[in-house]
Amino acid sequence: MTSVQAETPTQEWESQDTTELFRELRATSDPDRQEHIRDQLILMHSNLVRYLARKFANRGEPLEDLIQVGTIGLINAVDRFEPDRHIKFSTYAVPTIIGEIRRYFRDKGWNLKAPRRLKELNLAANRAIELLSQELGRSPTYAEIAESVGATEEEISEALEMGSAYHAVSLDTELSDDSEAAKSALMDLVGETDESFRRVELFAQLKDAINSLPERERKIVYMRFFKELSQTEVAKKLGISQMHVSRLQQKALNQLKEIMMRAE
Amino acid sequence: MDYQDDVVELRIPRKPEYVSVARLAVSGIAGRMDFSYDEVEDIKLAMGEACTSAMKDVAPEFAASPLTVRYEREAQRLTIEVINPGGARSTSKAPESLPPDEPISRLLMEVLMAEVDVFEDADRNLHVRMVKYASREDE
Repeated sequence: MTSVQAETPTQEWESQDTTELFRELRATSDPDRQEHIRDQLILMHSNLVRYLARKFANRGEPLEDLIQVGTIGLINAVDRFEPDRHIKFSTYAVPTIIGEIRRYFRDKGWNLKAPRRLKELNLAANRAIELLSQELGRSPTYAEIAESVGATEEEISEALEMGSAYHAVSLDTELSDDSEAAKSALMDLVGETDESFRRVELFAQLKDAINSLPERERKIVYMRFFKELSQTEVAKKLGISQMHVSRLQQKALNQLKEIMMRAE
Repeated sequence: MDYQDDVVELRIPRKPEYVSVARLAVSGIAGRMDFSYDEVEDIKLAMGEACTSAMKDVAPEFAASPLTVRYEREAQRLTIEVINPGGARSTSKAPESLPPDEPISRLLMEVLMAEVDVFEDADRNLHVRMVKYASREDE
């Protein structure tokens, strides 16, 4: 039964500090202090965003994008939450974060694109079945098909079962605005190429920036944002307190921000 | 076609790998109603959350009893229900009688579905019942 727990997030965001931090945030009039607390609250709850974003990750949008829009939801929640309304911050933040993620799918016209994705997965799965049958000299298992196309077994079951059904339902819509769809797809493509160039560039800059950090800060950035460990987990690994990790992380991020700003 | 009283019922062992079976059944049923792809995904996600928390949340003497997952299809409405034997909190009859360490899954279900109802029956079953309406803007 323990493996059911595997996905449960660390409960970092449930910490009792949250309410106190909010009280202080609303009470203080020092703008520096406000910004500091706000940043801290956002960082403290970034795990929650990741946890929620991951639940939407099988819908064909990159996880990083979902984390990004989810973070916008989190920031909105931090800015609007009133600590004296006697609800937990997470109770307030979860709907806001999910709302932002779902809006993202809606705004992308995802309802039109998604059936196409399922159809593509259906095609890819069928191609894999053919290929694997030849390679293996026998009919492949779902696990083998899933591995070969980079999807989960559940997605394969669904694509093989539903691919044609979705196709049939959406036939009319696709025919009637086919040219429109083709146009927008083309535009998407152009936009994405630019974007990916920019990303490569940014990525190189970021890499340099991270390499310029002191050893321990670099480790923290790596464990927090590449390995996605919680502050508590990082603290344990480095044998320092969670507060210490939090401070070092804050320092490292500020430094990275500065370097990146200078590079722009 | 008349879909009144079309009911599908599954009994699944309390093992994580069967959560996907409950989710797949949803796509089979909801996928043929007037739901958009996104809505079907939302229902699947809510189904997964309900099953996962039901698997965790059980009195030890019921650990071997399977969950019942029920799908009720009507023309414009889908009701899904997870019945968890031994999941009832006999001590508290509070509306939030879902496991206290799992408020996030409850919040998720509430955002994703039109109605979420959690209740216990006399036999210590915990029911999580959720409704989604087809062809209606839910926000």
